[in-house]
Amino acid sequence: MNMPGHLANDVLIRALDDELPPTEAAAVELHLSCCEECRRRSAGFRSLSIHIESLVASGPECGVGEREILARKLESQAPLSRVHAGSPKLKRALGWALALAACLAVIATLAPRPNAPAKPASAALAQVQSGTFEVDGESFISLPYSNPDLPATAAHIVQMQVPVASLTAAGIIFEPVSNGAASSDRSVLADVLLGMDGQPLGVHVLSFD
Amino acid sequence: MESVETLAISGAVWEKDLLEDTSVRQLVLEHYDREQLSLRKYVGFLGIDPETSREIVQETFLKLQEHLLAGGDQTNLRAWLYRVAHNLTRNSQVAFRSSKTDLLADVTVAGDPPARAESAERELLERERLSGVNAAIRRLSAAQRGCLVLRAQGLKYREIAEVLNLSISTVGENIQRGLEKLKEML
Repeated sequence: MNMPGHLANDVLIRALDDELPPTEAAAVELHLSCCEECRRRSAGFRSLSIHIESLVASGPECGVGEREILARKLESQAPLSRVHAGSPKLKRALGWALALAACLAVIATLAPRPNAPAKPASAALAQVQSGTFEVDGESFISLPYSNPDLPATAAHIVQMQVPVASLTAAGIIFEPVSNGAASSDRSVLADVLLGMDGQPLGVHVLSFD
Repeated sequence: MESVETLAISGAVWEKDLLEDTSVRQLVLEHYDREQLSLRKYVGFLGIDPETSREIVQETFLKLQEHLLAGGDQTNLRAWLYRVAHNLTRNSQVAFRSSKTDLLADVTVAGDPPARAESAERELLERERLSGVNAAIRRLSAAQRGCLVLRAQGLKYREIAEVLNLSISTVGENIQRGLEKLKEML
């Protein structure tokens, strides 16, 4: 409802709510100081607003223990949220871990070796018996480190000295009587098949030191 | 060697995440302490019964934790909370066609029963006045009611617009028309 010579309702209400630009708010103040009618209407809106605020303020109170219930729910939800949300920080950390593994694999591949160079594992892996498989005719004892779901064509073979202790940790035990390789401070020359993620897929022991 | 380093990195990440989770949870609870009552009142004004209101508010703060852990925007979490509560309320209304309840059923009057008749009379008048405002507000459109209740909670027009997915000018119009209607009804 607009009246000639008076402020419109929306202007009065916006002035009450501090939603007018400063210059317009100052003009409204000036008008109100000399207009009885607009002061009366403004006071009416103010009073009504106070009534609504009272009503809203008189709503329900917090139930006892609700905060504790929420705290428990938040605690149990946090790890799930992290998984669902796919935290960028966690992804970044995993990325760094994979990059580190890949770098180590590259270093191991490029390191000078007196024996045979690394061979690409172009052929598909063929399972020959439980715990072993073949790559291009070479038998490997499977290792639990690389993700078996990654494409096998991206795997490659690196020849290196592998500590006996590492093989023992992977479940490959040497007979202590038949040879001297069982000592944990010894190492063996082996072909190590690295998966796409740079982690060992399998090992083929070539000779003992 | 590789696996040891990877494990060490994983351990550090895990520890950091735990700290992060704890601080996020703390932040959520701080917001809960500040806003939960206002949110429940707002949800109540949208016609939701007290028990469902409590559930909606709890769900709102669980979503806040998800939002923060996912690295969501934190510029105006108050408006974000109202928006989520508003949307959850709408979902709840659609799903259950919740029967509207009278807000005054939940209104509690502070203090002991009045000892004097004068005090009792004032209280009765106050209750009647609130009852009249409550009844009148419930006859407004949902948008007008939502805007007026959020305004009474202290939200600025910009924040109300964000909560209700309206333009700022539409918020202003709803508030104006809502107040004009209330003046006519009361």
